[in-house]
Amino acid sequence: MSDRTENLLLILPGLLLLALAFFLPIFQMLALSVSGPDGPTLQHFARFLGDPYYLGILWRTVRLSLIITAICALIGFPLAYIMARVGPRLRLWLIVIVILPLMTSVVVRTFGWMVLLSRSGLIPELLRDLGLVKRNFALMQTETAIVIGMVQVLLPFMALSILGVITRIDPRLEEAARTMGCSFLQTLRTVILPLALPGIVAGSLLAFTLSASSFVTPGLLGGSRIEVLAASIYGSVTQTLDWPFAAAQAVILFVGVILVLIPYIKVTGRSHG
Amino acid sequence: MVRSVPTWLRAASVVFLILTALILLAPLVVVAGASFSASQFVQFPPDGLSLEWYRKVLSSRDYLSAGWTSLQIALLVTASATLIGGAAAIALHRNQLPGSQSLSALFLSPLVLPTIIYAIGMLMLWSSLFGPVTFLTLWIGHTVVAIPYVIRTTLAVLSESDPFLEEAARTMGARRLQRLWLVVVPQCAPGLAAGAFFAFNVSFDEAVLSLFLRKPGLTTLPVQIYGQLEFSPDPSVAAVSTIMIAITVILIFCIDRLLGIRNFAET
Repeated sequence: MSDRTENLLLILPGLLLLALAFFLPIFQMLALSVSGPDGPTLQHFARFLGDPYYLGILWRTVRLSLIITAICALIGFPLAYIMARVGPRLRLWLIVIVILPLMTSVVVRTFGWMVLLSRSGLIPELLRDLGLVKRNFALMQTETAIVIGMVQVLLPFMALSILGVITRIDPRLEEAARTMGCSFLQTLRTVILPLALPGIVAGSLLAFTLSASSFVTPGLLGGSRIEVLAASIYGSVTQTLDWPFAAAQAVILFVGVILVLIPYIKVTGRSHG
Repeated sequence: MVRSVPTWLRAASVVFLILTALILLAPLVVVAGASFSASQFVQFPPDGLSLEWYRKVLSSRDYLSAGWTSLQIALLVTASATLIGGAAAIALHRNQLPGSQSLSALFLSPLVLPTIIYAIGMLMLWSSLFGPVTFLTLWIGHTVVAIPYVIRTTLAVLSESDPFLEEAARTMGARRLQRLWLVVVPQCAPGLAAGAFFAFNVSFDEAVLSLFLRKPGLTTLPVQIYGQLEFSPDPSVAAVSTIMIAITVILIFCIDRLLGIRNFAET
C-alpha cells in the first residue's frame, strides 16, 4: 500500500458522507424547487416573487438582518479589541462569557429572552418603572424583540471573528502610532480599525447569513404575524406541506447566502493565508 | 513613553464590558433562576425557592424519552464524527492529496452553510428515497454538521505537532498501521478529544435539523423544549433548559482542559 492509498482510505468515508449526505440533499432541494406536475417549472418562484406578502417577508428578513449585523459589529469591535488587550486572566473570563452562550442551544437562549421581554418580564417592567414607556408597553411579538434576541445569538460569532484578526496585529504598530503623537482614539481609528477590517467584514457577512436563515428566535420572539423568510420555509414544510414551494423559498435564501458567502471566503482566505 | 489610555475611556470600557457581559449571560441566568421558582409561572426573579420543577422533569415521560433520544444520538454522533472527521483531518494535514486546500474548504462547508438549507434538502432527499425519516436520518444529519468541528480541532493540534515523529517511526521499521495507531493518533489525541466534546455539544443542542426531521417518537430535547415554548411554558421547561446549560458548562470545561479554550477562540 502506498502513502497515497493510505491517505485516500482515510479521507474516503468523509468524502462519501459529504457527497451523499450533504451535497446530494442540497441538489435535491434545487431540483425540487423547479419541479411541477408536468415537468420543470418556475411557477413556485413566480408565486413567491409575484406576491406582495412574500416580498414583504423577504424585505423584512433583509432589513432585520442588516440591523442585527450592524449592532453586532458596533458591539463586537470594541469587545474584541478589549478582549485582545486585557490581561490573560480577564481575557480567559471574557472568552468563557462569549463562548458559553455560543455553545448553549438557541432554543434555551430564546426562552431566556421570552422570560425577560414578556409583559411582566424584567425589561419592560424596568422601562415602565423608569417612566420611559407607557403602561401598556410590550416588547414580545415586536421586531425589537427579534433584534435583541438575535444580537445576543450572533454577537459571539462577530466578536470571535474580529478577535482572530486583532490578535494578529503587531502591538508595536500601535506603540509606533502613539509615539508619533497619535491620541488613543486616533490610533484606534487610523491603525487598528483598518487592520481589523477583514475581521469585521467576515464577521458581518457570517452574522448576516446566520441572521437571514434563522427561524427559531424570530419565530418565538416575533410571533406568527412578524414572519421572516426562514420561518415561512419552516411553515411551508411542516404546516402547509407545500414542499416544492418550500424548496423554492429555500433556493431564494440559498442564492442570497451564496452571494454573501463568496466575499466571506475571499476575506477569510486572505487573512489566514 | 506614550500617554496611556485616557481615564474616561477606561471607565467607559468597564461599563461597556459589564453591559455586554450582562446581555450575553442574561438569558442563561434568567432561565436558571426561573427553574428554582416555587410558583406556577415562569418568572425572574423567581418567587420563592424549590426543586419541585426538577422533580417534575425527572418524572415526566415526555422529557425523559426526549432526553434519552438526544443522549443516544449525541453519543453516536460523537463516535461517528470523531472517527470520520479525525481520519479525514489526518489525511488533510499530510497535504499529499491533489487539491488539499479545496478539500479542506469542502469539509468545512457545512459550518458556513446555514443549517436550514441543509435540513430541508436532507428531509426532501430522504423522503424521496426511503420514505419517512428515522433515527438514522437524524444521526447522519448531525454527523455531517459535527464533522467540521472535529476537523478544525484535530488540524489545529496537528499543525503544532512534530512532523518528523512519523518519519522516525518509519525508519525504525514501524508498519503503516503501527505508525498510524501508535504515533499519529496519540499526537492528535487532544484535538480528537476536544472535537469529540464539540460534536457531542453540537448534536445535543442542535434544533434546526431536529425540527425539520422530527416525527412522533423522534423528538430530541431542544425540539421538546421548542414545542413547550410555542404553547405555555411552565418552570419545568426552565429546569430542563438549566440541565442543558449545565451540560454545556461541563463540556466547555473539558475542552478547555484538553485544548485551552483560548487557542480555540483565536483561530
